[in-house]
Amino acid sequence: MSSVQLAHDPYNLIIAGVGGQGNVLASRVVGNMLSRKGLTITIGETFGGSQRGGSVMSHLRISDRHYYSPQIPKGKAHMILGLEPTETIRVLVNYGNPDVRAVCNMRPIHPVQVISGELGYPSLDDVRNWVRELSRESWFIDATDTALTMGAPILGNVIMVGALAGLGELPMDEADFEQVMAMTMTPDKVALNLKAYEKGKEMIAS
Amino acid sequence: MSIIVEGQKGQRYLLMGNEAIARGALEAGVSVAAGYPGTPSSEIIENLSKVSKQRPIYVEWSANEKVSMEVAAAASFAGLRALCVMKQNGVNVGSDFLLHLALSGTRGGMVMVPCDDPGALSSINEGESRQFARLLEVPLLEPGDFQEVKDMIKWAFDLSEEIGNMVFVRSVTRLSHASGNVLFGELPEGRARAFFKHDGFILDPKEGIMSPAPVEMKHAFQHQKLKTAVERFETSPFNTYTGPERPELIVVTSSACNLYSREAIQLLGVEDRVGLLKLGTTWPLPPKLIEKHLRMTDRFLVVEEVIPFTEENLKILAQELGPQVGHKTIMGKRDGHLPMVGELNPDLVVNALAQVLGMEYKPAPEAYTKRGQELIFFGAPNRELTFCPGCPHRASFWSIRSVLEMDNRQGFVCGDIGCYTMAILPTGFSTLKTLHAMGSGTGVASGFGKLKPFGLDQPVLSVCGDSTFFHAALPALVNAVHNQSDITMVVLDNSGTAMTGFQPHPGLTVDAMGGEVPAVSIEAVCRSLGAQVRTSDPFDLQTTQTTLMDLIDEPGVKVLILRQICGLSPEKKMKKKFDVAVNPEVCLGESCGCGRLCTRIFRCPGLIWDKARGKAKVDEVICAGCGVCASICPAGAIEKVEFKEVA
Amino acid sequence: MQVFGPNELQEDVLKKGLCVGCGACVGLCPYFKTYKGKTAMLFPCTLTQGRCHAFCPKTEVDLEELAQRYWGKSYEGTPLGEHQEIVRARAGDRMGPGPYQAGGTVSALLAQAFKSGLVEAAVLTDRQELVPVPRLARSLEEAARCASSKYMAAPTLAAYNQALAEGLSRVGVVGTPCQVTALAQMRANPLQRDDFRDAAAMVIGLFCTWALDTRGLIRLLADRLDTGRIKKMDLPPPPSEIMVLETEDGRVEVPLSEIRPLVPAGCHICPDMTSEWADLSVGVVEGQPDWNTLIVRTRRGRDLVEQAKADGMLVTEPMPADNLANLNLAAGNKKKRAWARTREDGLLNSDGEGRRSAIRVPVRVVESIDS
Repeated sequence: MSSVQLAHDPYNLIIAGVGGQGNVLASRVVGNMLSRKGLTITIGETFGGSQRGGSVMSHLRISDRHYYSPQIPKGKAHMILGLEPTETIRVLVNYGNPDVRAVCNMRPIHPVQVISGELGYPSLDDVRNWVRELSRESWFIDATDTALTMGAPILGNVIMVGALAGLGELPMDEADFEQVMAMTMTPDKVALNLKAYEKGKEMIAS
Repeated sequence: MSIIVEGQKGQRYLLMGNEAIARGALEAGVSVAAGYPGTPSSEIIENLSKVSKQRPIYVEWSANEKVSMEVAAAASFAGLRALCVMKQNGVNVGSDFLLHLALSGTRGGMVMVPCDDPGALSSINEGESRQFARLLEVPLLEPGDFQEVKDMIKWAFDLSEEIGNMVFVRSVTRLSHASGNVLFGELPEGRARAFFKHDGFILDPKEGIMSPAPVEMKHAFQHQKLKTAVERFETSPFNTYTGPERPELIVVTSSACNLYSREAIQLLGVEDRVGLLKLGTTWPLPPKLIEKHLRMTDRFLVVEEVIPFTEENLKILAQELGPQVGHKTIMGKRDGHLPMVGELNPDLVVNALAQVLGMEYKPAPEAYTKRGQELIFFGAPNRELTFCPGCPHRASFWSIRSVLEMDNRQGFVCGDIGCYTMAILPTGFSTLKTLHAMGSGTGVASGFGKLKPFGLDQPVLSVCGDSTFFHAALPALVNAVHNQSDITMVVLDNSGTAMTGFQPHPGLTVDAMGGEVPAVSIEAVCRSLGAQVRTSDPFDLQTTQTTLMDLIDEPGVKVLILRQICGLSPEKKMKKKFDVAVNPEVCLGESCGCGRLCTRIFRCPGLIWDKARGKAKVDEVICAGCGVCASICPAGAIEKVEFKEVA
Repeated sequence: MQVFGPNELQEDVLKKGLCVGCGACVGLCPYFKTYKGKTAMLFPCTLTQGRCHAFCPKTEVDLEELAQRYWGKSYEGTPLGEHQEIVRARAGDRMGPGPYQAGGTVSALLAQAFKSGLVEAAVLTDRQELVPVPRLARSLEEAARCASSKYMAAPTLAAYNQALAEGLSRVGVVGTPCQVTALAQMRANPLQRDDFRDAAAMVIGLFCTWALDTRGLIRLLADRLDTGRIKKMDLPPPPSEIMVLETEDGRVEVPLSEIRPLVPAGCHICPDMTSEWADLSVGVVEGQPDWNTLIVRTRRGRDLVEQAKADGMLVTEPMPADNLANLNLAAGNKKKRAWARTREDGLLNSDGEGRRSAIRVPVRVVESIDS
């Protein structure tokens, strides 16, 4: 039991992207941060095809009571963190509802069938409009591009985590972030990731 | 620093199911853990390997699952606690041994942890291991959440030692690969001592010989053991009931379905009408416990994956107890309330429950759902599975396909299990024409290679990976050589068991625990078997094609080893060999003479089609720098420059 | 001529077994490759129009269009095609001794063409054991090594494509009727490409009634001789019923009854016995093994012949009437068989409708066959 008040119990968060974007890392970081607040976390992920260009999702159930199923029921997401534009749409269509909120990273990763010319990739304007249509509130940030300026595109997922923290819906503290990262990373890496996290918070505020 | 040993007793940690199983095994005092990589089980052995220096354990990636069971059983015979881990297929692979082990019995606790994959998220079958517990007549446990996934392991070891036989603890992808907070227990101290006592009275289970004979007598002992297990099941803390005393309906469930069922009841708000009987001991079902709940109501809905296993067992008991409890309606898969195929999820369960209760359930407002359906096709183009950028398989199958087409006799490739299984898809140019189990590629090819007298003159090829080679392809290869079958076996050697996370195997000089060990040479094995052996680098398309072209014309068994390290291997990761770029002046694009060969056929994710300019382009973020695309461009528009080592 | 794409080529030619392996489609792109006498498409190409289909001698050869382009008149469908004169010829004294096939006329013409600088390279057919190999010879010495007939369907034109890719501009080509037909289509720039070049400075066509499938021949001869020791292949004219192979170990004869089943289906729909679209056509003379029949069709062909005679490289004499009559008869029969077969198989297009066909001829030609 924690002393935290959740906007919903369970609070359903989906982190969606393409295999290789660090989806799993992001969900573990968020999960561990919230776990330190005494909350009960259940995380479900799609593995296997994930390294090979497939869509990946992490479903986080955040509760003060008990475990929930590792898959969020359709239409029951509260917050979506989309690491890739079309993956955000995909998840919204299946798990969204009129009250969902979404943060979307705007750097496309082309599916192989788009690269080969069989399928088309929507324009980013269309993506923005559709995300707005399918959510109550939405934010669009260039996490990958910012990460590139910081020297590593993989930091994009950490920037997104920072953005999520910046929204204030969930009890996410910088101190918890640092501690969680320190569990698996060397101090200099922790510092770099902390910068990315802070950048995310900045970007969502503006 | 690993959380599964650093974690403190009494603290909660967010763990993946497989990590929890590993911790559970450590808390139970396991001494030996063996397995073969298979999703979703691989992390259990991986986590135990990582701590093999800090804890008194021996961890092994065995050549295949059957051997891993034999290795674990040996530890058990010597009085140690042993854990054996596999995906659902692995139980099939080792079932012959298990059949005999179930009769001979075990000594030190032996716990089998099969991790099933309902819905085949990372498999090409959704077979079940639960059946095997029934077939082998050994106790079956199914954890229903993350705490149980850990705690059941110790309980299972205790039970196994009490009855002197193995115990199954069955996990599924949605527990093994999902995560939840787990409360840690204590880690025991000391290293267990191994001794195999065998000179006592021959039939003494603790001091005699480990043998399944005499069969009828041992089979009868086995049933005694089951009886004891059932007694423990009657009072097991893993069977729980929540809900009203007089429910309208009881949902009977186990495994991850427990979480779906509980959520479904909450979503419909029927906690006061519907009870939830969560079973952790699912075979044999404890009759007294079942009877108690059968008396509570007349309607039951069984929620499980994949086959109606518990449903059928429950129906057997309900029939037998009929005179006492009356007629019961047991719904589930057999009557179509839940699908017979695929994995379950909260939506399928809530819809079934709603239907049974006569309620309506909508996940989201209709207008929203409808709009979503309109947008999905253009808004979210499908992501086909593909070989990673820099994957040697892409190059290998490019060569194999080219050679077979030039040969022009409708030659074909019998496929096997690994990353290269994807060669059945466009990413591997749809080259595989048969696909079954580990080692089956060469086995099936061995059969095809004997059909010349029946007029089959199509060249016969098989592929297998370096790990698959040791797992199951060897007997098939022996068969082909001895029976003079005309086949060409292509071993795709990328120096690891790649699909499951790059674990080591007997062909490498490193073992599960990171120690240096002798490698078994694939070339040497094939040569000594009597096959003609050649080796080539798949990235060198020209040499590979010429070599393969020569080989398929020759009679007998030929082995072509295509050796090039996996693009994801830790050794190679992130290091590009070449800086690759497309020269747009030279690129022919869609015109006759190229027809977008690189982006339309080769399909490496690192090469993208710039529609606006009508030219191909390299995406430096994704490109792995292998340089193979430069060899296939008909215009020579792809330029590669080798990165020089900076002093 | 209707031009379709590689998929139609697959469906209409490769899958129907009509491919004669001429090599016109090889070397244009990465999709078509030839190996041991067979042409294959390695991967699918989605273009709706391709040079492969345009060049192929088995997908709508528009004879009227070709006749207009090369002769400036309508296609008449005569047995021997358009020509200025027919003589018998043989290598002159300046040429020196063989090995030549029959009279050595082709060798002499090539020698003259190289010497005079008319050509800088020649597209020829070489042989490796029993496999025909396209050869781009850059000198007379290299060319001389390719002398002697192969009788197998050979992907010779792949070497022409190679010559174009290398930027050569004066190339001599020696080919069979199907190859020469394909070349005639290639030289017409059917897809109207900007990068088109006509590098064929001289086209010497051979006579051919049918060719043989390489792989079939290898299978047939594998246990009768060592294919690596074949020196020469010969098909003596009727009434001979054998194929002769001169090997290092002696002479091997194979009855034609065993050879005929190896004729590719594409040969049965070919109406051209004497390479009607070449500058010069060369064949045997029945009963006169030391002479060739030489058909002169174009002015530049005639010029080369005159030069060669003047330089003592070539000798010509009038063609005996009997031989000429027999030639006409044989060529006419081949045409008749081809028209019959293409009509039977629905591959003859005489009404100009949009369906896919192998040969397009004006209606009156078809009518004249019937009469």
